[in-house]
Amino acid sequence: MSRPSLRELAALFARIPNLTFGGGDPTMAALQRELVARRGWLAPEQYGLAFGLARLTPGTNLLAFCAAAAWLLRGALGAVLAVLAASAPAAIVVVALSYGYQALKGNALAMSVIAGLLASAVGMMATAAWRLVRPHVRRGEGLRALVLAGGSVALLRGVAMPPVAVLALAAVAGFFWRRSEEE
Amino acid sequence: MNLLLLYLLLLKATATSFSGLTSLPVVRNDLVVRYQVLTDRQLNAAVVAGQTGPGPYGLYVVSVGYFVAGVPGAFCGYLAMITPAFLIIPMLRYLGARARHPGARSAIQGVTLAAAGLIVASAIPLAQDALTGAAAVAIAIASFLVLIATRLDTLWVIAGSAVAGLVAGFLA
Repeated sequence: MSRPSLRELAALFARIPNLTFGGGDPTMAALQRELVARRGWLAPEQYGLAFGLARLTPGTNLLAFCAAAAWLLRGALGAVLAVLAASAPAAIVVVALSYGYQALKGNALAMSVIAGLLASAVGMMATAAWRLVRPHVRRGEGLRALVLAGGSVALLRGVAMPPVAVLALAAVAGFFWRRSEEE
Repeated sequence: MNLLLLYLLLLKATATSFSGLTSLPVVRNDLVVRYQVLTDRQLNAAVVAGQTGPGPYGLYVVSVGYFVAGVPGAFCGYLAMITPAFLIIPMLRYLGARARHPGARSAIQGVTLAAAGLIVASAIPLAQDALTGAAAVAIAIASFLVLIATRLDTLWVIAGSAVAGLVAGFLA
């Protein structure tokens, strides 16, 4: 794993969260690609830990995720820098939108651009989910991956179990259903 | 309204919720019903502003602050939004020290796989809302394929989707 400079860290956290539409989940999906797949700054397990704990942290999950990922990479200063970089520009945009959201809502072209961005957010989320599952499938643990990931979807969508409870259950299931070399 | 009180009320809402809009009932109860410094219409506009722009939906709290007390109020909302994020660091320190244990590693793998499930589960309602026509479906599939098969910067996929949405809007 390579360690980014504070400038590289701030640049990434300023870019992705402030340019991804559709809320925190697509943003964390886009960050997964950049942090794990493209740059190799975080291992998939570190991403999973930051993602899981972000769900257990009160407030905006994305910002807790940014604090966690940046803390793993560059400590406390990195965490503060990442949270500010990830949120300040978008906050300024929100203030501007609060001022003029009616004008934007009536503009068909602006809405077309937003529709394109939201559609791409769906593609980003599918990519992130696949990239988290793929290493397990490649190691021949497709059944374990399918049961844990697919079971989570079923519990969330089927019986509307709270995400925090699903993550806790997955941790317990993962603890008892170990990979062969972990035993 | 006093800015410190506004910050504390918004912090109460953000620190007792676990995702973007779940703090909404607390915000409404305090600012619309109890203190009457915000209208329902403004609260709705704040939610729209938070969802229209980039970034997390939790940003609507910034807009709420703006509607209550202008730019200083927006700053209070911003601080209330980012403060709880740092609670993750002590949790990470505690768990990080134990992450080498085989049982802990296996449990973290379980959480990682569930994270994939969580992403899929939250993509489903977004897909239902966003993929309403052939153009949107094509953009989503193209984004997925480019992201999965190439190492292209994510920013280009975002920019390309915006242009494709604009072209589809012109043609429609």
